[in-house]
Amino acid sequence: MWLMALFTFREAWRKRVVLVAGGLTLAFLILFGTGLHFVLGDTVRGADLTASFWAMMEVITLSSMGIYLASFLVAGVAILAAVGSVSGEIENGTLYALAVRPLSRRDLFLGKFLGVGAMLIAYAALLFLALAGLIYWQTGLVLPGLGPALGLFILKPLVLLSITMLGTTRLTTLGNGVLAFGLYALAVVGGMMEQIGVLLGNTATVYTGVVTSLVLPADAVYRRLVATVVNRMPLGNGQDVPFLNPQMTLGPIGSGSTPSDWMLVYTLAYVVFLVAVAVYTFQRRDI
Amino acid sequence: MAIIEVRSLTKVYGREVACREICLSVEEGQIFGLLGRNGAGKTTLVKMLVGLIYPTAGEAEVAGYAPQDIRSRRQIGFLPENFRFHGWLKGRELVAFHGRLAGLDGRMARRRAHEALELVGLAGEGQKLVANYSKGMQQRLGLAAALVGDPRVVFLDEPTSALDPLGRRHVREILLTLKEAGKTVFLNSHLLSEVEQVCDRVAIINQGTVVAAGRLDELQAGPATVAIRLDGLTGELAKELRQLYPDLQREGDRLTVAPGGREEIADLVARLVAGGCRIYEVTPARNSLEDIFVYLVREGELACG
Repeated sequence: MWLMALFTFREAWRKRVVLVAGGLTLAFLILFGTGLHFVLGDTVRGADLTASFWAMMEVITLSSMGIYLASFLVAGVAILAAVGSVSGEIENGTLYALAVRPLSRRDLFLGKFLGVGAMLIAYAALLFLALAGLIYWQTGLVLPGLGPALGLFILKPLVLLSITMLGTTRLTTLGNGVLAFGLYALAVVGGMMEQIGVLLGNTATVYTGVVTSLVLPADAVYRRLVATVVNRMPLGNGQDVPFLNPQMTLGPIGSGSTPSDWMLVYTLAYVVFLVAVAVYTFQRRDI
Repeated sequence: MAIIEVRSLTKVYGREVACREICLSVEEGQIFGLLGRNGAGKTTLVKMLVGLIYPTAGEAEVAGYAPQDIRSRRQIGFLPENFRFHGWLKGRELVAFHGRLAGLDGRMARRRAHEALELVGLAGEGQKLVANYSKGMQQRLGLAAALVGDPRVVFLDEPTSALDPLGRRHVREILLTLKEAGKTVFLNSHLLSEVEQVCDRVAIINQGTVVAAGRLDELQAGPATVAIRLDGLTGELAKELRQLYPDLQREGDRLTVAPGGREEIADLVARLVAGGCRIYEVTPARNSLEDIFVYLVREGELACG
Protein backbone atom coordinates (compact mmCIF):
# COMPACT_ATOMS: atom_id res chain seq x y z
CA MET A 1 0.00 0.00 0.00
CA TRP A 2 2.81 2.42 0.94
CA LEU A 3 4.70 1.55 -2.22
CA MET A 4 1.59 2.42 -4.23
CA ALA A 5 1.08 5.64 -2.24
CA LEU A 6 4.66 6.70 -2.92
CA PHE A 7 4.24 5.80 -6.58
CA THR A 8 1.07 7.94 -6.83
CA PHE A 9 2.77 10.84 -5.08
CA ARG A 10 5.78 10.57 -7.39
CA GLU A 11 3.45 10.41 -10.38
CA ALA A 12 1.89 13.75 -9.44
CA TRP A 13 5.35 15.21 -8.96
CA ARG A 14 6.88 13.85 -12.16
CA LYS A 15 3.88 14.68 -14.31
CA ARG A 16 4.39 18.25 -13.20
CA VAL A 17 0.88 18.35 -11.70
CA VAL A 18 2.48 19.98 -8.67
CA LEU A 19 4.36 22.45 -10.86
CA VAL A 20 1.23 23.48 -12.80
CA ALA A 21 -0.90 23.68 -9.65
CA GLY A 22 1.92 25.57 -7.91
CA GLY A 23 2.22 28.04 -10.79
CA LEU A 24 -1.51 28.71 -10.85
CA THR A 25 -1.58 29.03 -7.09
CA LEU A 26 1.26 31.52 -7.18
CA ALA A 27 -0.66 33.53 -9.78
CA PHE A 28 -3.72 33.44 -7.50
CA LEU A 29 -1.71 34.56 -4.49
CA ILE A 30 -0.11 37.43 -6.45
CA LEU A 31 -3.53 38.51 -7.70
CA PHE A 32 -5.09 38.29 -4.25
CA GLY A 33 -2.13 40.05 -2.66
CA THR A 34 -2.35 42.85 -5.23
CA GLY A 35 -6.07 43.20 -4.57
CA LEU A 36 -5.50 43.17 -0.85
CA HIS A 37 -2.83 45.84 -1.16
CA PHE A 38 -4.90 48.23 -3.24
CA VAL A 39 -8.31 47.59 -1.68
CA LEU A 40 -7.14 48.05 1.86
CA GLY A 41 -6.54 51.74 2.21
CA ASP A 42 -4.33 53.50 4.65
CA THR A 43 -7.22 53.36 7.12
CA VAL A 44 -6.62 49.64 7.55
CA ARG A 45 -2.90 49.36 7.02
CA GLY A 46 -1.19 50.16 10.28
CA ALA A 47 -4.49 50.93 12.02
CA ASP A 48 -5.62 49.43 15.31
CA LEU A 49 -8.09 46.89 14.01
CA THR A 50 -9.58 46.23 17.40
CA ALA A 51 -10.69 49.85 17.55
CA SER A 52 -12.17 50.31 14.08
CA PHE A 53 -15.19 48.25 13.20
CA TRP A 54 -15.19 49.24 9.51
CA ALA A 55 -11.48 48.60 9.06
CA MET A 56 -11.97 45.22 10.68
CA MET A 57 -14.92 44.47 8.42
CA GLU A 58 -12.77 45.22 5.37
CA VAL A 59 -10.19 42.72 6.60
CA ILE A 60 -12.85 40.13 7.47
CA THR A 61 -14.51 40.46 4.07
CA LEU A 62 -11.28 40.25 2.09
CA SER A 63 -9.91 37.38 4.20
CA SER A 64 -13.14 35.42 3.78
CA MET A 65 -13.10 36.06 0.05
CA GLY A 66 -9.51 34.86 -0.11
CA ILE A 67 -10.31 31.70 1.82
CA TYR A 68 -13.43 31.13 -0.31
CA LEU A 69 -11.51 31.42 -3.60
CA ALA A 70 -8.58 29.38 -2.31
CA SER A 71 -10.93 26.62 -1.21
CA PHE A 72 -12.36 26.62 -4.75
CA LEU A 73 -8.87 26.18 -6.10
CA VAL A 74 -8.14 23.30 -3.75
CA ALA A 75 -11.50 21.69 -4.56
CA GLY A 76 -10.70 21.82 -8.28
CA VAL A 77 -7.25 20.29 -7.74
CA ALA A 78 -8.76 17.55 -5.52
CA ILE A 79 -11.32 16.54 -8.14
CA LEU A 80 -8.92 16.73 -11.07
CA ALA A 81 -6.20 14.78 -9.26
CA ALA A 82 -8.53 11.89 -8.41
CA VAL A 83 -11.06 11.88 -11.24
CA GLY A 84 -9.32 9.21 -13.33
CA SER A 85 -7.14 7.50 -10.76
CA VAL A 86 -8.89 4.15 -11.30
CA SER A 87 -11.17 4.64 -14.32
CA GLY A 88 -8.48 6.48 -16.28
CA GLU A 89 -5.97 3.73 -15.60
CA ILE A 90 -8.45 1.13 -16.79
CA GLU A 91 -9.29 3.17 -19.88
CA ASN A 92 -5.66 3.60 -20.90
CA GLY A 93 -4.60 0.09 -19.86
CA THR A 94 -2.03 0.96 -17.19
CA LEU A 95 -3.94 -0.79 -14.40
CA TYR A 96 -3.87 -4.30 -15.87
CA ALA A 97 -0.24 -4.98 -15.09
CA LEU A 98 -0.52 -3.42 -11.61
CA ALA A 99 -3.71 -5.17 -10.55
CA VAL A 100 -2.28 -8.67 -11.06
CA ARG A 101 0.62 -8.06 -8.68
CA PRO A 102 0.56 -9.65 -5.21
CA LEU A 103 -1.20 -6.63 -3.80
CA SER A 104 -4.84 -6.71 -2.72
CA ARG A 105 -7.26 -4.41 -4.49
CA ARG A 106 -7.83 -2.74 -1.13
CA ASP A 107 -4.14 -1.91 -0.76
CA LEU A 108 -3.92 -0.78 -4.38
CA PHE A 109 -6.85 1.58 -3.90
CA LEU A 110 -5.81 2.85 -0.47
CA GLY A 111 -2.30 3.42 -1.79
CA LYS A 112 -3.70 5.64 -4.50
CA PHE A 113 -5.97 7.42 -2.02
CA LEU A 114 -3.10 8.06 0.38
CA GLY A 115 -0.79 9.24 -2.41
CA VAL A 116 -3.29 11.77 -3.77
CA GLY A 117 -4.41 12.63 -0.23
CA ALA A 118 -0.84 13.39 0.90
CA MET A 119 -0.34 15.63 -2.10
CA LEU A 120 -3.61 17.47 -1.40
CA ILE A 121 -2.80 17.90 2.29
CA ALA A 122 0.59 19.39 1.45
CA TYR A 123 -0.88 21.63 -1.23
CA ALA A 124 -3.82 22.83 0.89
CA ALA A 125 -1.59 23.48 3.90
CA LEU A 126 0.91 25.51 1.86
CA LEU A 127 -1.85 27.50 0.17
CA PHE A 128 -3.65 28.30 3.41
CA LEU A 129 -0.45 29.29 5.21
CA ALA A 130 0.59 31.45 2.23
CA LEU A 131 -2.82 33.13 2.33
CA ALA A 132 -2.58 33.72 6.07
CA GLY A 133 0.94 35.08 5.57
CA LEU A 134 -0.31 37.45 2.89
CA ILE A 135 -3.07 38.74 5.17
CA TYR A 136 -0.58 39.24 7.98
CA TRP A 137 1.82 41.04 5.65
CA GLN A 138 -0.82 43.43 4.39
CA THR A 139 -2.85 43.98 7.57
CA GLY A 140 -0.68 42.89 10.45
CA LEU A 141 -3.40 40.49 11.54
CA VAL A 142 -2.59 36.89 12.45
CA LEU A 143 -5.63 34.86 11.38
CA PRO A 144 -7.19 33.74 14.63
CA GLY A 145 -7.85 30.02 15.09
CA LEU A 146 -5.12 29.30 12.55
CA GLY A 147 -4.63 25.69 13.64
CA PRO A 148 -8.28 24.55 13.52
CA ALA A 149 -8.82 26.64 10.39
CA LEU A 150 -5.90 24.92 8.69
CA GLY A 151 -7.36 21.54 9.66
CA LEU A 152 -10.73 22.48 8.17
CA PHE A 153 -9.12 23.87 5.02
CA ILE A 154 -7.37 20.51 4.55
CA LEU A 155 -10.52 18.53 5.34
CA LYS A 156 -12.51 20.04 2.48
CA PRO A 157 -10.39 18.58 -0.37
CA LEU A 158 -10.33 15.25 1.46
CA VAL A 159 -14.14 15.20 1.37
CA LEU A 160 -14.05 15.86 -2.36
CA LEU A 161 -11.27 13.31 -2.78
CA SER A 162 -13.39 10.61 -1.12
CA ILE A 163 -16.43 11.18 -3.36
CA THR A 164 -14.27 11.43 -6.49
CA MET A 165 -12.34 8.29 -5.58
CA LEU A 166 -15.62 6.45 -5.07
CA GLY A 167 -16.82 7.63 -8.47
CA THR A 168 -13.66 6.58 -10.25
CA THR A 169 -14.06 2.97 -9.10
CA ARG A 170 -17.34 2.65 -10.99
CA LEU A 171 -17.81 5.44 -13.54
CA THR A 172 -15.87 6.55 -16.59
CA THR A 173 -13.43 9.40 -16.04
CA LEU A 174 -15.68 11.86 -17.86
CA GLY A 175 -18.80 10.70 -16.03
CA ASN A 176 -17.01 10.89 -12.71
CA GLY A 177 -15.75 14.39 -13.44
CA VAL A 178 -19.26 15.56 -14.31
CA LEU A 179 -20.66 13.93 -11.16
CA ALA A 180 -17.98 15.31 -8.82
CA PHE A 181 -18.13 18.88 -10.14
CA GLY A 182 -21.92 18.67 -10.28
CA LEU A 183 -22.18 17.57 -6.66
CA TYR A 184 -19.70 20.23 -5.60
CA ALA A 185 -21.72 22.91 -7.41
CA LEU A 186 -24.85 21.57 -5.70
CA ALA A 187 -23.17 21.77 -2.31
CA VAL A 188 -21.94 25.34 -2.93
CA VAL A 189 -25.34 26.54 -4.16
CA GLY A 190 -27.02 24.74 -1.24
CA GLY A 191 -24.60 26.39 1.18
CA MET A 192 -25.31 29.82 -0.27
CA MET A 193 -29.06 29.22 -0.11
CA GLU A 194 -28.68 28.26 3.53
CA GLN A 195 -26.90 31.53 4.33
CA ILE A 196 -29.44 33.58 2.41
CA GLY A 197 -32.18 31.63 4.20
CA VAL A 198 -30.71 32.68 7.54
CA LEU A 199 -30.56 36.31 6.42
CA LEU A 200 -34.19 36.19 5.31
CA GLY A 201 -35.35 33.99 8.17
CA ASN A 202 -36.62 31.38 5.70
CA THR A 203 -36.46 27.92 7.33
CA ALA A 204 -37.20 25.93 4.16
CA THR A 205 -34.21 27.47 2.38
CA VAL A 206 -31.99 26.75 5.39
CA TYR A 207 -33.08 23.10 5.39
CA THR A 208 -32.36 22.83 1.67
CA GLY A 209 -28.79 23.85 2.45
CA VAL A 210 -28.59 21.33 5.28
CA VAL A 211 -29.73 18.54 2.95
CA THR A 212 -27.12 19.41 0.30
CA SER A 213 -24.51 19.48 3.08
CA LEU A 214 -25.51 15.95 4.02
CA VAL A 215 -25.15 14.85 0.39
CA LEU A 216 -21.68 16.42 0.13
CA PRO A 217 -20.41 18.20 3.25
CA ALA A 218 -17.64 20.09 1.39
CA ASP A 219 -19.34 23.49 1.65
CA ALA A 220 -20.30 22.87 5.26
CA VAL A 221 -16.60 22.46 6.08
CA TYR A 222 -15.92 25.85 4.48
CA ARG A 223 -18.74 27.49 6.51
CA ARG A 224 -17.32 26.05 9.68
CA LEU A 225 -13.88 27.34 8.68
CA VAL A 226 -15.20 30.88 8.11
CA ALA A 227 -16.95 30.76 11.47
CA THR A 228 -13.74 29.53 13.13
CA VAL A 229 -11.74 32.45 11.76
CA VAL A 230 -14.25 35.32 11.72
CA ASN A 231 -15.87 34.65 15.09
CA ARG A 232 -12.47 34.86 16.76
CA MET A 233 -11.48 38.13 15.12
CA PRO A 234 -11.58 41.31 17.17
CA LEU A 235 -15.12 42.62 16.74
CA GLY A 236 -15.81 39.56 14.65
CA ASN A 237 -18.47 38.12 16.92
CA GLY A 238 -20.58 41.24 16.82
CA GLN A 239 -20.37 41.78 20.56
CA ASP A 240 -19.02 45.27 20.16
CA VAL A 241 -21.54 46.23 17.49
CA PRO A 242 -24.55 44.15 18.45
CA PHE A 243 -26.74 45.42 15.63
CA LEU A 244 -24.40 44.09 12.93
CA ASN A 245 -23.07 40.53 12.91
CA PRO A 246 -20.09 40.32 10.51
CA GLN A 247 -21.16 36.80 9.47
CA MET A 248 -24.39 38.31 8.19
CA THR A 249 -22.62 41.09 6.31
CA LEU A 250 -20.54 38.49 4.49
CA GLY A 251 -23.77 37.23 2.90
CA PRO A 252 -23.43 34.09 0.74
CA ILE A 253 -19.75 33.60 1.62
CA GLY A 254 -20.30 34.00 5.35
CA SER A 255 -21.41 31.56 7.97
CA GLY A 256 -24.62 32.93 9.39
CA SER A 257 -25.73 29.34 9.79
CA THR A 258 -22.66 27.60 11.20
CA PRO A 259 -22.40 23.81 10.97
CA SER A 260 -22.31 22.14 14.37
CA ASP A 261 -19.68 19.84 15.87
CA TRP A 262 -21.93 16.94 14.91
CA MET A 263 -21.71 18.06 11.31
CA LEU A 264 -17.93 17.79 11.58
CA VAL A 265 -18.25 14.31 13.05
CA TYR A 266 -20.63 13.45 10.20
CA THR A 267 -18.07 14.78 7.69
CA LEU A 268 -15.28 12.63 9.09
CA ALA A 269 -17.55 9.59 9.12
CA TYR A 270 -18.63 10.48 5.57
CA VAL A 271 -15.01 10.35 4.33
CA VAL A 272 -14.34 7.02 6.06
CA PHE A 273 -17.63 5.53 4.80
CA LEU A 274 -17.07 6.63 1.21
CA VAL A 275 -13.54 5.25 1.16
CA ALA A 276 -14.85 1.94 2.56
CA VAL A 277 -17.56 1.79 -0.12
CA ALA A 278 -14.98 2.64 -2.78
CA VAL A 279 -12.72 -0.20 -1.59
CA TYR A 280 -15.70 -2.58 -1.61
CA THR A 281 -16.72 -1.49 -5.12
CA PHE A 282 -13.18 -1.71 -6.50
CA GLN A 283 -12.66 -5.16 -4.98
CA ARG A 284 -15.72 -6.50 -6.74
CA ARG A 285 -15.47 -4.95 -10.15
CA ASP A 286 -14.04 -6.51 -13.29
CA ILE A 287 -11.03 -4.76 -14.71
CA MET B 1 1.25 -31.81 -12.19
CA ALA B 2 -1.35 -29.32 -13.41
CA ILE B 3 -0.39 -25.77 -12.52
CA ILE B 4 -3.44 -24.25 -14.17
CA GLU B 5 -6.77 -25.96 -13.63
CA VAL B 6 -9.96 -24.55 -15.11
CA ARG B 7 -13.33 -26.11 -14.38
CA SER B 8 -16.51 -25.01 -16.16
CA LEU B 9 -15.43 -21.39 -16.19
CA THR B 10 -18.17 -19.14 -17.54
CA LYS B 11 -18.37 -15.40 -17.98
CA VAL B 12 -21.54 -13.67 -19.02
CA TYR B 13 -21.91 -9.95 -19.72
CA GLY B 14 -25.61 -9.20 -19.70
CA ARG B 15 -26.95 -11.46 -22.43
CA GLU B 16 -23.56 -11.96 -24.04
CA VAL B 17 -21.65 -15.13 -23.18
CA ALA B 18 -17.92 -14.38 -23.38
CA CYS B 19 -16.78 -17.78 -22.09
CA ARG B 20 -18.94 -20.86 -21.71
CA GLU B 21 -18.06 -23.75 -19.37
CA ILE B 22 -14.39 -23.82 -20.23
CA CYS B 23 -12.38 -26.73 -18.87
CA LEU B 24 -8.62 -26.75 -19.24
CA SER B 25 -5.60 -28.18 -17.57
CA VAL B 26 -2.03 -27.01 -18.11
CA GLU B 27 0.91 -29.01 -16.84
CA GLU B 28 3.83 -27.28 -15.16
CA GLY B 29 6.75 -26.54 -17.47
CA GLN B 30 4.72 -26.48 -20.65
CA ILE B 31 4.07 -23.79 -23.18
CA PHE B 32 0.33 -23.78 -23.64
CA GLY B 33 -1.23 -21.96 -26.57
CA LEU B 34 -4.76 -20.63 -26.55
CA LEU B 35 -5.94 -19.98 -30.07
CA GLY B 36 -8.97 -18.23 -31.31
CA ARG B 37 -10.09 -15.50 -33.63
CA ASN B 38 -10.58 -11.96 -32.39
CA GLY B 39 -13.47 -11.79 -29.94
CA ALA B 40 -13.49 -15.54 -29.33
CA GLY B 41 -13.09 -15.11 -25.58
CA LYS B 42 -9.31 -15.59 -25.21
CA THR B 43 -8.61 -12.36 -23.35
CA THR B 44 -11.64 -12.84 -21.09
CA LEU B 45 -10.36 -16.28 -20.14
CA VAL B 46 -6.84 -15.00 -19.41
CA LYS B 47 -8.20 -12.09 -17.39
CA MET B 48 -10.19 -14.55 -15.28
CA LEU B 49 -7.05 -16.64 -14.75
CA VAL B 50 -5.01 -13.66 -13.53
CA GLY B 51 -7.84 -12.40 -11.32
CA LEU B 52 -8.79 -9.24 -13.19
CA ILE B 53 -12.27 -10.53 -14.01
CA TYR B 54 -14.61 -12.50 -11.77
CA PRO B 55 -16.20 -15.55 -13.40
CA THR B 56 -19.98 -15.82 -13.50
CA ALA B 57 -19.72 -19.55 -12.80
CA GLY B 58 -17.10 -22.25 -12.50
CA GLU B 59 -13.71 -22.07 -10.88
CA ALA B 60 -10.02 -21.85 -11.66
CA GLU B 61 -6.79 -22.50 -9.83
CA VAL B 62 -3.39 -21.15 -10.71
CA ALA B 63 -0.44 -22.62 -8.83
CA GLY B 64 -2.89 -24.20 -6.41
CA TYR B 65 -4.86 -21.07 -5.49
CA ALA B 66 -7.80 -19.09 -6.76
CA PRO B 67 -6.70 -16.35 -9.19
CA GLN B 68 -7.67 -13.55 -6.78
CA ASP B 69 -5.56 -15.07 -4.03
CA ILE B 70 -2.35 -13.15 -3.31
CA ARG B 71 -0.51 -16.50 -3.06
CA SER B 72 -1.43 -17.20 -6.68
CA ARG B 73 -0.38 -13.73 -7.78
CA ARG B 74 3.04 -14.12 -6.18
CA GLN B 75 3.68 -16.85 -8.74
CA ILE B 76 2.46 -15.25 -11.93
CA GLY B 77 3.63 -12.73 -14.47
CA PHE B 78 1.24 -11.16 -16.94
CA LEU B 79 1.66 -9.26 -20.17
CA PRO B 80 -1.76 -7.83 -21.05
CA GLU B 81 -2.89 -7.26 -24.60
CA ASN B 82 -4.10 -3.66 -24.69
CA PHE B 83 -1.83 -2.20 -22.11
CA ARG B 84 0.14 0.98 -21.64
CA PHE B 85 2.72 1.81 -19.09
CA HIS B 86 3.23 4.97 -17.09
CA GLY B 87 5.04 7.16 -19.60
CA TRP B 88 6.60 9.38 -16.93
CA LEU B 89 8.78 6.52 -15.68
CA LYS B 90 12.06 5.42 -17.18
CA GLY B 91 12.08 1.85 -18.52
CA ARG B 92 14.36 0.59 -15.77
CA GLU B 93 12.34 2.33 -13.05
CA LEU B 94 9.14 0.77 -14.34
CA VAL B 95 10.49 -2.77 -14.37
CA ALA B 96 12.10 -2.27 -10.94
CA PHE B 97 8.78 -0.95 -9.60
CA HIS B 98 7.05 -4.10 -10.83
CA GLY B 99 9.81 -6.06 -9.11
CA ARG B 100 9.05 -4.24 -5.86
CA LEU B 101 5.35 -4.96 -6.27
CA ALA B 102 6.23 -8.61 -6.88
CA GLY B 103 7.85 -8.65 -3.44
CA LEU B 104 11.54 -8.01 -4.17
CA ASP B 105 13.53 -5.59 -2.05
CA GLY B 106 14.91 -2.44 -3.68
CA ARG B 107 18.38 -3.73 -4.53
CA MET B 108 17.12 -7.09 -5.83
CA ALA B 109 14.39 -5.36 -7.85
CA ARG B 110 16.96 -3.15 -9.58
CA ARG B 111 19.20 -6.12 -10.31
CA ARG B 112 16.34 -8.22 -11.64
CA ALA B 113 15.11 -5.25 -13.70
CA HIS B 114 18.51 -5.02 -15.37
CA GLU B 115 18.49 -8.76 -16.13
CA ALA B 116 14.91 -8.69 -17.44
CA LEU B 117 15.67 -5.73 -19.71
CA GLU B 118 18.74 -7.55 -20.98
CA LEU B 119 16.66 -10.65 -21.68
CA VAL B 120 14.18 -8.73 -23.83
CA GLY B 121 16.89 -6.75 -25.61
CA LEU B 122 16.28 -3.40 -23.96
CA ALA B 123 19.37 -3.22 -21.75
CA GLY B 124 20.59 -0.06 -23.48
CA GLU B 125 17.20 1.65 -23.35
CA GLY B 126 16.53 1.48 -19.62
CA GLN B 127 17.24 5.15 -18.99
CA LYS B 128 14.73 6.35 -21.59
CA LEU B 129 11.29 7.56 -20.56
CA VAL B 130 8.64 4.94 -21.35
CA ALA B 131 6.70 7.63 -23.22
CA ASN B 132 9.51 7.68 -25.78
CA TYR B 133 9.43 3.92 -26.41
CA SER B 134 8.05 2.61 -29.71
CA LYS B 135 5.09 0.22 -29.56
CA GLY B 136 7.34 -2.77 -30.10
CA MET B 137 9.70 -1.60 -27.36
CA GLN B 138 6.75 -1.14 -25.01
CA GLN B 139 5.69 -4.71 -25.71
CA ARG B 140 9.17 -5.97 -24.86
CA LEU B 141 9.18 -3.76 -21.78
CA GLY B 142 5.86 -5.35 -20.79
CA LEU B 143 7.46 -8.75 -21.14
CA ALA B 144 10.35 -7.63 -18.92
CA ALA B 145 7.87 -6.36 -16.31
CA ALA B 146 6.01 -9.69 -16.46
CA LEU B 147 9.23 -11.64 -15.90
CA VAL B 148 10.98 -9.45 -13.32
CA GLY B 149 9.48 -11.27 -10.33
CA ASP B 150 10.75 -14.64 -11.63
CA PRO B 151 7.21 -16.08 -11.86
CA ARG B 152 6.35 -19.77 -12.10
CA VAL B 153 3.58 -19.11 -14.59
CA VAL B 154 3.66 -16.43 -17.27
CA PHE B 155 0.49 -15.32 -19.03
CA LEU B 156 1.17 -13.59 -22.31
CA ASP B 157 -1.76 -12.08 -24.18
CA GLU B 158 -0.74 -11.49 -27.80
CA PRO B 159 2.89 -10.81 -26.86
CA THR B 160 4.14 -10.26 -30.39
CA SER B 161 1.32 -8.28 -31.97
CA ALA B 162 3.44 -5.11 -32.23
CA LEU B 163 6.73 -6.77 -33.08
CA ASP B 164 8.54 -7.13 -36.39
CA PRO B 165 9.64 -10.62 -37.56
CA LEU B 166 12.99 -10.34 -35.77
CA GLY B 167 11.26 -9.25 -32.57
CA ARG B 168 8.85 -12.18 -32.86
CA ARG B 169 11.68 -14.62 -33.27
CA HIS B 170 13.37 -13.11 -30.21
CA VAL B 171 10.20 -13.55 -28.15
CA ARG B 172 9.91 -17.17 -29.31
CA GLU B 173 13.47 -17.73 -28.14
CA ILE B 174 12.63 -16.17 -24.77
CA LEU B 175 9.62 -18.49 -24.45
CA LEU B 176 11.79 -21.52 -25.12
CA THR B 177 14.33 -20.25 -22.57
CA LEU B 178 11.55 -19.94 -20.01
CA LYS B 179 10.44 -23.47 -20.78
CA GLU B 180 14.00 -24.74 -20.29
CA ALA B 181 14.00 -23.01 -16.91
CA GLY B 182 10.89 -25.00 -15.96
CA LYS B 183 8.44 -22.09 -16.24
CA THR B 184 4.92 -22.51 -17.52
CA VAL B 185 3.83 -20.19 -20.29
CA PHE B 186 0.21 -19.56 -21.16
CA LEU B 187 0.34 -17.99 -24.59
CA ASN B 188 -2.72 -16.30 -25.95
CA SER B 189 -2.44 -15.66 -29.64
CA HIS B 190 -4.14 -15.63 -32.96
CA LEU B 191 -0.82 -16.05 -34.76
CA LEU B 192 -0.99 -19.73 -35.62
CA SER B 193 2.56 -20.11 -36.88
CA GLU B 194 3.86 -18.70 -33.62
CA VAL B 195 1.84 -21.15 -31.56
CA GLU B 196 2.78 -24.03 -33.84
CA GLN B 197 6.48 -23.31 -33.35
CA VAL B 198 6.66 -23.14 -29.58
CA CYS B 199 3.63 -24.71 -27.93
CA ASP B 200 3.45 -28.19 -26.42
CA ARG B 201 -0.30 -28.13 -26.05
CA VAL B 202 -2.98 -25.94 -27.53
CA ALA B 203 -6.64 -25.26 -27.07
CA ILE B 204 -8.81 -23.64 -29.69
CA ILE B 205 -11.56 -21.42 -28.46
CA ASN B 206 -14.47 -20.30 -30.60
CA GLN B 207 -17.43 -18.21 -29.55
CA GLY B 208 -16.49 -18.65 -25.91
CA THR B 209 -16.21 -22.43 -26.04
CA VAL B 210 -13.15 -24.65 -26.24
CA VAL B 211 -13.66 -26.63 -29.44
CA ALA B 212 -10.42 -28.59 -29.37
CA ALA B 213 -7.60 -29.15 -26.93
CA GLY B 214 -4.62 -31.43 -26.77
CA ARG B 215 -1.03 -31.94 -27.72
CA LEU B 216 -0.18 -30.33 -31.02
CA ASP B 217 0.81 -33.63 -32.64
CA GLU B 218 -2.45 -35.23 -31.45
CA LEU B 219 -4.51 -32.51 -33.04
CA GLN B 220 -2.49 -32.65 -36.20
CA ALA B 221 -2.93 -36.43 -36.39
CA GLY B 222 -6.63 -36.07 -37.05
CA PRO B 223 -8.33 -36.63 -40.42
CA ALA B 224 -5.88 -35.53 -43.11
CA THR B 225 -5.90 -35.91 -46.87
CA VAL B 226 -3.85 -38.32 -48.97
CA ALA B 227 -2.88 -37.49 -52.54
CA ILE B 228 -2.41 -40.53 -54.80
CA ARG B 229 -0.92 -40.34 -58.29
CA LEU B 230 -2.15 -43.31 -60.22
CA ASP B 231 -3.11 -44.72 -63.58
CA GLY B 232 -5.89 -47.06 -64.67
CA LEU B 233 -8.72 -45.89 -62.41
CA THR B 234 -12.01 -47.01 -63.95
CA GLY B 235 -15.22 -45.02 -63.62
CA GLU B 236 -16.85 -47.90 -61.79
CA LEU B 237 -14.10 -48.06 -59.17
CA ALA B 238 -14.13 -44.29 -58.77
CA LYS B 239 -17.90 -44.44 -58.12
CA GLU B 240 -17.42 -47.18 -55.60
CA LEU B 241 -14.72 -45.20 -53.80
CA ARG B 242 -16.82 -42.04 -53.77
CA GLN B 243 -19.43 -43.91 -51.75
CA LEU B 244 -16.75 -44.72 -49.17
CA TYR B 245 -15.06 -41.32 -49.29
CA PRO B 246 -17.62 -38.63 -50.17
CA ASP B 247 -14.96 -35.91 -50.33
CA LEU B 248 -12.91 -37.80 -52.93
CA GLN B 249 -11.56 -35.55 -55.67
CA ARG B 250 -10.08 -36.55 -58.99
CA GLU B 251 -7.93 -34.28 -61.11
CA GLY B 252 -6.25 -36.02 -64.04
CA ASP B 253 -4.05 -38.75 -62.62
CA ARG B 254 -4.32 -37.38 -59.11
CA LEU B 255 -6.78 -38.60 -56.53
CA THR B 256 -7.30 -36.83 -53.23
CA VAL B 257 -9.18 -38.49 -50.36
CA ALA B 258 -9.50 -38.05 -46.62
CA PRO B 259 -9.21 -41.47 -45.00
CA GLY B 260 -9.83 -41.95 -41.28
CA GLY B 261 -6.29 -43.05 -40.38
CA ARG B 262 -3.12 -44.84 -41.41
CA GLU B 263 -4.82 -48.26 -41.76
CA GLU B 264 -7.40 -46.85 -44.10
CA ILE B 265 -4.65 -45.50 -46.33
CA ALA B 266 -3.22 -49.00 -46.65
CA ASP B 267 -6.69 -50.44 -47.36
CA LEU B 268 -7.35 -47.81 -49.99
CA VAL B 269 -4.07 -48.49 -51.79
CA ALA B 270 -4.75 -52.25 -51.69
CA ARG B 271 -8.22 -51.71 -53.14
CA LEU B 272 -6.85 -49.53 -55.95
CA VAL B 273 -4.19 -52.10 -56.81
CA ALA B 274 -6.79 -54.89 -56.73
CA GLY B 275 -8.94 -52.78 -59.07
CA GLY B 276 -6.14 -52.71 -61.63
CA CYS B 277 -4.60 -49.33 -60.85
CA ARG B 278 -0.89 -48.60 -61.00
CA ILE B 279 0.23 -46.46 -58.07
CA TYR B 280 3.09 -44.03 -58.66
CA GLU B 281 2.96 -41.88 -55.56
CA VAL B 282 1.12 -41.76 -52.20
CA THR B 283 1.54 -38.47 -50.35
CA PRO B 284 -0.16 -38.11 -46.97
CA ALA B 285 -0.72 -34.44 -46.11
CA ARG B 286 -0.17 -33.46 -42.49
CA ASN B 287 -2.86 -31.23 -40.98
CA SER B 288 -1.48 -27.81 -40.32
CA LEU B 289 -2.71 -25.97 -37.26
CA GLU B 290 -4.25 -23.48 -39.63
CA ASP B 291 -6.29 -26.25 -41.31
CA ILE B 292 -7.53 -27.48 -37.95
CA PHE B 293 -8.27 -23.96 -36.75
CA VAL B 294 -10.17 -22.95 -39.88
CA TYR B 295 -12.08 -26.25 -39.92
CA LEU B 296 -13.11 -25.98 -36.25
CA VAL B 297 -14.03 -22.32 -36.41
CA ARG B 298 -16.11 -22.82 -39.56
CA GLU B 299 -17.77 -25.89 -38.07
CA GLY B 300 -18.59 -23.85 -34.99
CA GLU B 301 -20.12 -21.11 -37.11
CA LEU B 302 -22.28 -23.63 -38.98
CA ALA B 303 -23.39 -25.24 -35.73
CA CYS B 304 -24.33 -21.87 -34.25
CA GLY B 305 -26.04 -20.72 -37.42
